[in-house]
Amino acid sequence: MKKNTMKKRLRDSYKKNNRKIVLLLSLCFLFQFSFASTSSSINITENDEVTQDAFTVKGVVKDNKGEALPGVSIIIKGTTTGTITGIDGDYTLNVPNKNSTLVFSYMGFQTQEVPVNGQTSININLTEDIRVFDELVVVGYGTMKKREVTSSVETITSKDFKEGGSRNPLDLIQGKVAGLNMTRTQGSNPNAGVDIQLRGVSSLTGNRSPLIVIDGVPGGSLDLLQQDDVESISVLKDGSAAAIYGTRANAGVILITTKKGKSGKAEFNYSSYLRHEVVNDRPDIMSASDYRKLIAEGVINKDQDFGANTDLFNELLNKGNLSHYHNFSMTGGTEATTYRASLFYSDLKGVVKQNGREQYGGRVHIQQKGLDDHLTMSVNLSTNFNKANMLGGSTGDFSQAIQRNPTAPLKNEDGTFFETHAFDNYNPMSRLANRISKRDQQTTLGDLRADLKIIDGLSLSAIAAFQRDTYNDRYFRSINDWDQRPGSQYQGMAYASKNNYLKKDKSFEATANYRKMFAEEHVITALLGYSYQYQTREEFSVNNNGFTTDGFLDWNLGAGSAIQNDKLPRPGMGSNKWESTLVGFFGRINYSFADRYFLQFILRREGSSKFGKNHKWGNFPAASAGWTISEERFMQNVDFVKDLKLRVGYGVTGNEGISPYQSMHTLSTGGVYPQDGVYYQTYGASRNANPDLKWEQKREFNAGLDFSILNHRITGSFDFFVRNTKDLLYEYNAQQPSYIHSRIWANVGTLRSTGFEFQLSGVAIEKENFKWTIDLVGSTLNNKLTKLSSDLFKSNWLSFYGLPSPGNLGDAIRLEEGGKIGNFYGKRFAGFTDDGEWLFYKKDGSKVRAGETSEEDLAVIGNGVPKFQGSINQRFEYKGFDLSLMFRTKLGFDILNLKDLYYANKKWLPNNMLKQAVKKYNHINDDPQYSDYYIEKGNFIKLDNMTLGYTFDFDIPMISHLRLYATVSNLFTISSYSGKNPEVQDTGFEAGIDKRDYYPGTTSWTVGLNVTF
Amino acid sequence: MDSWLKCYILKSIKMKKHMYKNIKVFFATLLLIVAIPSCTNLDEKIYSDLSGDNFYKNKVEILQGALRPFTHMQAWMAPTGQNGYYYHAELSADQLAWPQKGKHGYDGGDHFRQHYHTWTSDEGRMRDAWSLIWTGVGYINAAIADMEKVDYKEFMTEEEMTAIISELYVLRAFHYMKIMELWGNTPIVTEVGEGPNPPTRPKKDLFEFAKTELETHVPKLLPYSKELVGRVSQTAGYAMLAELYLNAEYFVGVPMWDECIKACDKIMSGEAGGLGAGNKPELADNLSDSFSNTNQSAKESLFQFAFSKKGGFTFGWDGFFCGYSNTSEIHNVDYSGWNAFVVIPTAFDNYPDNDLRKKEWFMFGPQYKYGTDEPILGTEEYNGKPLEYVNYIRRESERKSPDEVLRSTMADGEENSGARFDKYKSGPLTDDNYRENHYLLYRLTEIYYNKAEALMRKNGGKATQEAVDLINICRQRAFSDEDWEEAKYTTETLTMDELLNERGREFIFEGKRRTDLIRFGKFTTASWWDHEPSNDPNREIYPIPHTQIGANPNLKQNPGY
Repeated sequence: MKKNTMKKRLRDSYKKNNRKIVLLLSLCFLFQFSFASTSSSINITENDEVTQDAFTVKGVVKDNKGEALPGVSIIIKGTTTGTITGIDGDYTLNVPNKNSTLVFSYMGFQTQEVPVNGQTSININLTEDIRVFDELVVVGYGTMKKREVTSSVETITSKDFKEGGSRNPLDLIQGKVAGLNMTRTQGSNPNAGVDIQLRGVSSLTGNRSPLIVIDGVPGGSLDLLQQDDVESISVLKDGSAAAIYGTRANAGVILITTKKGKSGKAEFNYSSYLRHEVVNDRPDIMSASDYRKLIAEGVINKDQDFGANTDLFNELLNKGNLSHYHNFSMTGGTEATTYRASLFYSDLKGVVKQNGREQYGGRVHIQQKGLDDHLTMSVNLSTNFNKANMLGGSTGDFSQAIQRNPTAPLKNEDGTFFETHAFDNYNPMSRLANRISKRDQQTTLGDLRADLKIIDGLSLSAIAAFQRDTYNDRYFRSINDWDQRPGSQYQGMAYASKNNYLKKDKSFEATANYRKMFAEEHVITALLGYSYQYQTREEFSVNNNGFTTDGFLDWNLGAGSAIQNDKLPRPGMGSNKWESTLVGFFGRINYSFADRYFLQFILRREGSSKFGKNHKWGNFPAASAGWTISEERFMQNVDFVKDLKLRVGYGVTGNEGISPYQSMHTLSTGGVYPQDGVYYQTYGASRNANPDLKWEQKREFNAGLDFSILNHRITGSFDFFVRNTKDLLYEYNAQQPSYIHSRIWANVGTLRSTGFEFQLSGVAIEKENFKWTIDLVGSTLNNKLTKLSSDLFKSNWLSFYGLPSPGNLGDAIRLEEGGKIGNFYGKRFAGFTDDGEWLFYKKDGSKVRAGETSEEDLAVIGNGVPKFQGSINQRFEYKGFDLSLMFRTKLGFDILNLKDLYYANKKWLPNNMLKQAVKKYNHINDDPQYSDYYIEKGNFIKLDNMTLGYTFDFDIPMISHLRLYATVSNLFTISSYSGKNPEVQDTGFEAGIDKRDYYPGTTSWTVGLNVTF
Repeated sequence: MDSWLKCYILKSIKMKKHMYKNIKVFFATLLLIVAIPSCTNLDEKIYSDLSGDNFYKNKVEILQGALRPFTHMQAWMAPTGQNGYYYHAELSADQLAWPQKGKHGYDGGDHFRQHYHTWTSDEGRMRDAWSLIWTGVGYINAAIADMEKVDYKEFMTEEEMTAIISELYVLRAFHYMKIMELWGNTPIVTEVGEGPNPPTRPKKDLFEFAKTELETHVPKLLPYSKELVGRVSQTAGYAMLAELYLNAEYFVGVPMWDECIKACDKIMSGEAGGLGAGNKPELADNLSDSFSNTNQSAKESLFQFAFSKKGGFTFGWDGFFCGYSNTSEIHNVDYSGWNAFVVIPTAFDNYPDNDLRKKEWFMFGPQYKYGTDEPILGTEEYNGKPLEYVNYIRRESERKSPDEVLRSTMADGEENSGARFDKYKSGPLTDDNYRENHYLLYRLTEIYYNKAEALMRKNGGKATQEAVDLINICRQRAFSDEDWEEAKYTTETLTMDELLNERGREFIFEGKRRTDLIRFGKFTTASWWDHEPSNDPNREIYPIPHTQIGANPNLKQNPGY
């Protein structure tokens, strides 16, 4: 009771002044995640005794940024006597004796006790103490206190970002959010993206990556975000959280908030890092001498020794790679105007030659208040110019590095490149020397935002945004390139092409917000909104050949003689354009009672131009509830539990991620055919039009528990979810006849995923100079295809990942109705014949050679999707030093080792092989076959990130903050897998394959600097 | 102005107006804005495709719509690397095979099962073939429906339109003939999307449908002429009819020899037009003219697919028939293939050495760079060694001793196994007509053979002098004058078996062998190289792909599958 009274009094005190709320909120943004080490309960007893020792104490209370704190309550310990600080944080208090102790308390700050010890002036700085439940969480179209959140939302702020120089803004939260899986199938390739997947696969063909919303603009490009510009990243995981974004939210929503200006003293910040990459998964390729040993043994023909010692893998690497990044920002403003501007430059180098990305750009945010603070307008502009060199790092180059004859020189004596002529061979060094493949890209996002307070509690917001993403690709093959040689179709002449791409996104979003409290304990918040998004994409490409000179490169396409010389491949050109529109209306109502019971309802109604006439609109409702158990009376005596909240939610979201026009009957080109000897284009039906095409819908149930125990030393949450995606959009087998084409877009089938997620943070040790915190994140996943048929369209299974030539061994993965996502499907190994030929099991258990097996003998032979993923992040702080260690693990999955299947088989000769071909696999004397023989357990744990930092503590007026750090990522991996890198792609449907073609994995070493002045 | 911007401006105006007014007014305004139709317009504008509304406005466009099925047919009927009719018609028969060659060509055992006749209803390539051919039917059905709606009178005569529509009907009947050959019992569909689950019809319905459509529409076609090259004309139509009648006994148990002879005569008499002198078809003078890169006007052509590298679409037989890139220097060409199809040794042995076709139509023995005696080198089993095509299929490179007996099965090929295709010739890169070859579906020689066969069958399987003359006049091109006396047939030597053999020699690589073997009763009863007879007549038609059975509950699987 007393506690509640106290709180109410404090609440009243800060209610008086709006400015204080603003201040508090902005402080909340900057909160520091530290837990009180001492208890802050206040014992008030009836004791009004005043002795003659009484004297007066004065002072000023500030926060640790040095700003005065008005309204701080100061009580003499053991009494009810006290006072409150004034507008400048000042106070005057009569104390009964010099041994009294003053208790300073203020909502949102740690309570502090100070013994008077006869001092007459006590100035103190209070430290913020944000209780876990008072953290601000960014949700769709607004923010909420964690206490009010009723669905599964995770917000990570810049303080907790992963350090060490991110390549992609989402790297900042890798391993920090349970259920969010990110894989980089192309290692450190600066031009490759990251595969993002939340809570498993949620769609067959639609978007399977979360919707990215940057500062309220849906569909923002990740290129526009640099690590130092990001304030917080919020992940809306379950359906009840994401339903407000309805239509594109099936795979979850990631809300990114960028840093904004602050009023007050101008601040400048510079941050930078340098990074060097070292390959850590080099395959065990035979060296020239290993290869010659096999020649000596008669395994390889003598004529295969070309006399050189070549280490092609080594040749492909850019060993001196050094990437660097710089970001400079300034921020400041007045009460009414704030701004933040930043500029960045980065030059990222891959570990491979001719593979880099140079970027520069910036971000400006200006905010102006007016009309008596009723109107706030802001402008946000961000842009990224980048130049990518995409020539190197082709995954095929590294399969050449394995299979090319190591005794073959790279160059002939005359300086031309030496080509080997075994199956599928090419000389990658020749390509690197004779080709150009570059992209020049620019992405810009501008938005204008207006917030208007109409009356107390009612406000309007509107945001209009325009994003333009354009690139220009150039490609060139010199007359010296092997593909252009005399005798090829290009007859010794060069080839050049250009490709332009332009994507424009226009969006307008308007919302009205209303908040009303009545009868003291009931609060209603309502949101009503309209959203309009229009997207166009245009492409234009042209190529020509027959260039007799390399002099023009790709800068004079008209000079290619293929225009006149019809024996050369024809010059090519193409262009296309499409558009799509999304229109949505949405509303949200939140109701809370006594700060303990929370309810939320959401409805979004959205229309997409992509669907059939009668099905363009869909409804996406959600409901969720929260109960803060720890506020209940019966919990008051349970001391070790500080906060405890139960959340339950159900929500429907959608997916429209297919190409436009699929519901329409159109005609498209179909090859040329003569009319009286003249060849004209022909036109026929483009597709089987399906006018009934409609939204894919995901229904998700989520239950979660948030808690904070042992004086906030351990906080965390558990979540359990069940999601069913129905009406899956897929290009199903059409009935032929009567449909024209073999495929038709239709809504059939259901995917289901269930999982359990946990997130735990704890303070293991906290002493004056030393702190050790541990964060644990983990998630399980069970992802199935429960249905794949409807009354009209039927399908038994889908298959994925056709195994490459030679042999074309069929699809490795099968998705069956009722089966799990990621099942490997193939032959079952039964041994070898005496001659080393494969034997496989027939369905009836008999053992036969490969040619005698048939479709019915195949079975599920493994699964490539991890059942469990987790990470442990530990952070140690000692004085100015901090050390963090992040381990990540994936467990319970299989890997298909394609490198061994193809390259560790003596039949691969005269191409080069892996050393294992004559060791572990020496007994195989048969052509490659796909079976469970090559499927292995993939469990691993890796040291993902280790960062050592030092923050200087000095009193130089110019510099307010200086931090240096060093990071090593991917230092080591412990795994049961025999291949080199068990972290293979496990998102989507082609999970768990250690591919033949690949980009090498790296350990990266980074040093960085961050200075504020 | 863009509608999103309109929405925005409208909203801003309203916002200012009502800034301090009460909430009700605000919500009313918001609803009003929301109700403005441009804010909810979801129509799709098409940019890079055509729609029925803005097309078919002149004769060229009409033909552009009508000829789409032709370019599609090139994919499933010609040996252009697709898993279509050709793949199945040849690899299940006794002349061509796609054996595994070391690590290449196992391809999930697909080609093994064609050779051994052990296919199931779950063959990916069969699904492709089914899908390709029915897509052809779909294009024709869609085009016929479109044409019937067009108001063409302003730019075309009724006769011109009738000829075009008849062409589509005849082409559709041809599709059904080929569907009947492969799968026997299937639906008959003449409109897109009707059903959409059409039921299986027995083979005799398909036969009747094809026969009636052909008999009705072939006479309405135009006679074949230079202007119509590549199109379905009367010669094409009567050739289809001749083939249908010749196989009628097998298809429906009703012999139609006289009808066959009559259809052949329509062509031979020149009544149906042709590309030879006097608008009549004529037998080619030699073994090469019909397959050369100037065969657009081949005088024995009755129906051909028009291809033209210059025109923009090349007849690409390279995938199936050419070796890897090392072999493109043999003919000095810029294409190469998958080292896929080889000639089965028993089929190659079927040619006597003095048969000129054995030289003219095959690559065999050591191979040299074009115009030189510099050997072509292998890249696999014979890496770095001279490449020599041999008439056996076994792992000769792994031979341990001279007297070792090596296995010869579909699994034991090498990069040089078997004689190779050289019937169509593109010419070298330097040739002015390089890769201008058309693909001949019907040539006059086949009509001679059909008529001869009908005469013999009518005569109780014995040759008549007329039949012998018809065959001899074709066969004479394959022998030198010195050898001819001994090589020519008499009524004694031209037995039915000999006729089948000679058909094989003449029409090798032309996609006809499966049909011939079935008609002669050999398909499931004879053995060749690594193939043992199944003696299962159900194997004469393929199973309906299981995916289609799954998709359409009204389809019935063929017996035995």
